[in-house]
Amino acid sequence: MECRVLSIQSHVVRGYVGNKSASFPLQVLGFEVDSINSVQFSNHTGYSHWKGQVLTADELHVLYEGIKLNNVHQYDYVLTGYTRDTSFLEMVVDIVQELKRANPNLVYVCDPVLGDHGSMYVPQNLYPVYKNKVVPVADIITPNQFEAELLTGKNISTEKDAVEVMDLLHAMGPDTVVITSSDLPSRLGDRFLVSLGSQRHVRPDGSRTTERVRIEVPKVDAVFVGTGDLFAAMLLAWTHHYPNDLKMACEKTFSVMHHVIQRTISYAHELAGPGRRPSPPQLELRMVQSKADIEDPAIVTEATVIS
Amino acid sequence: MECRVLSIQSHVVRGYVGNKSATFPLQVLGFEVDSINSVQFSNHTGYAHWKGQVLTAEELNVLYEGIKLNKVNQYDYILTGYSRDMSFLETVVDIIQELKKANPSLVYVCDPVMGDHGVMYVPEHLLPVYREKVVPLADTLTPNQFEAELLTGRKINTEKDAVEVMDLLHNMGPETVVLTSTDLPSKYGDHYLVALGSQKIVNEDGTNTCQKICMDIPKVDAVFVGTGDLFAALLLAWTHHHPKDLKTACEKTVSVMHHVIKRTISYANEVAGPGNRPSPAQLELRMVQSKADIENPAIVVEAKVLEKSVD
Repeated sequence: MECRVLSIQSHVVRGYVGNKSASFPLQVLGFEVDSINSVQFSNHTGYSHWKGQVLTADELHVLYEGIKLNNVHQYDYVLTGYTRDTSFLEMVVDIVQELKRANPNLVYVCDPVLGDHGSMYVPQNLYPVYKNKVVPVADIITPNQFEAELLTGKNISTEKDAVEVMDLLHAMGPDTVVITSSDLPSRLGDRFLVSLGSQRHVRPDGSRTTERVRIEVPKVDAVFVGTGDLFAAMLLAWTHHYPNDLKMACEKTFSVMHHVIQRTISYAHELAGPGRRPSPPQLELRMVQSKADIEDPAIVTEATVIS
Repeated sequence: MECRVLSIQSHVVRGYVGNKSATFPLQVLGFEVDSINSVQFSNHTGYAHWKGQVLTAEELNVLYEGIKLNKVNQYDYILTGYSRDMSFLETVVDIIQELKKANPSLVYVCDPVMGDHGVMYVPEHLLPVYREKVVPLADTLTPNQFEAELLTGRKINTEKDAVEVMDLLHNMGPETVVLTSTDLPSKYGDHYLVALGSQKIVNEDGTNTCQKICMDIPKVDAVFVGTGDLFAALLLAWTHHHPKDLKTACEKTVSVMHHVIKRTISYANEVAGPGNRPSPAQLELRMVQSKADIENPAIVVEAKVLEKSVD
């Protein structure tokens, strides 16, 4: 498999977020990963302390220029996640557009990180950039419910709303949309959350079809960081292997997430000791220990095809 | 296995040198790798063009401070390689000294990158820093012949010279020394180069054993970049699993190198096409494709034990 990904995300010295979360799993699955580190921090910002440096939009451009001057700017995928800077994000869009001209088959996988549970945790001025510039060039997006609502201006109270929101997102650009988590009630009860996916295909005869799926995902009582980055990377990998089977791609992706999270929470509790809440360092994803699950995930979540 | 490595090396967007070369193999072998990127370049400097940014000694300190403030500055290993900046290297030394105080069992694996084939390719003023400050802290050292000669002030013309130079390096600090390549003639002829290793072990009864080995390694007709970084990372891994058996650690390390290099040169020649010399871009190590060899290397090189002395 000759498949090259350009991933533009954060780097942390310790732990697994951004490029640290995305690179190893993709490499383990045989992808070549070129990584531009948008920041270098000691660790993620959920710890008591964090220190480090950020890359400016100019510096990003300089790195891309280096790749271009050597004529090696051919990519099959671009992957982006958490960004705080509008000029950086706009530079990313320019780069994606240029790379798409170099390879029209390029797939841009975009996690439009804006916020969660009703509040934005990036500067507000990023919202119009995502809506007007980023999402239109994306092929796969992985918003949570809040981000999906923000981008479309429509609230999600029922599954029917979610389907309409995903159709609105398709109309903005991406053929593949996964709402990674929602507040919709799960048929399996309180301990589960509902995720949904939608993928538009063009049939050989030219007609269009949309595959929609619902996944019930077990909730875990802990705050993980880097899971969204891992999710987007794994969705890239599994949609690559199953380009016309969103059900299968989602089952694999959500299953890997489950294995990594279970392993992480067990280990964190062991380290923290009985009756104690694990700390952010203790809750770092057990990434290298999950290599076998990443390579060949046992399917533990089933995606239901919905109309 | 709970083993955490702090690796302070370059990052390249594309390709495999520095941290890009060291991290994946160590992670695949189950090590937790914390990585401080000393630079971020588009690619290594053997391409026609390269662009990017460097980390200052101050910025390095800031990153380390972050780790320290969170009280997560506990490491089992430190790994360093190519450095061009004296103040950066001196800050690395300070960090290592502090980490060794936090964990006296910490093992510092150091590739003292200065040059090769008689030519220095880092600024000259790095030599005294390596000689006086870095090497004394190192536990495992992977110099080539030129670097070993520079550090000890002794030339290597015979196997006996090499053994004496490795003993001199032991006296400077590291218990494990591997001369990664030399000009010494191989008994298999011109197509092979000779590498040597030496390890001092303290026995239970307090006496010292020193095991010395040598290996004949097939030469490859190409210039690879990042192979030294891969070598040091693999030696870290295999000496971790075989701490008192340098022969096995070296056989595994050199065998992995062989598989990766063979896969790389085949692919490069295929991509370049018949009669064309592959380009630097085409010669990037086939790292992710070599995962199985990294995990479980078939042994293709035998190390010969030269002598085992006890004192």
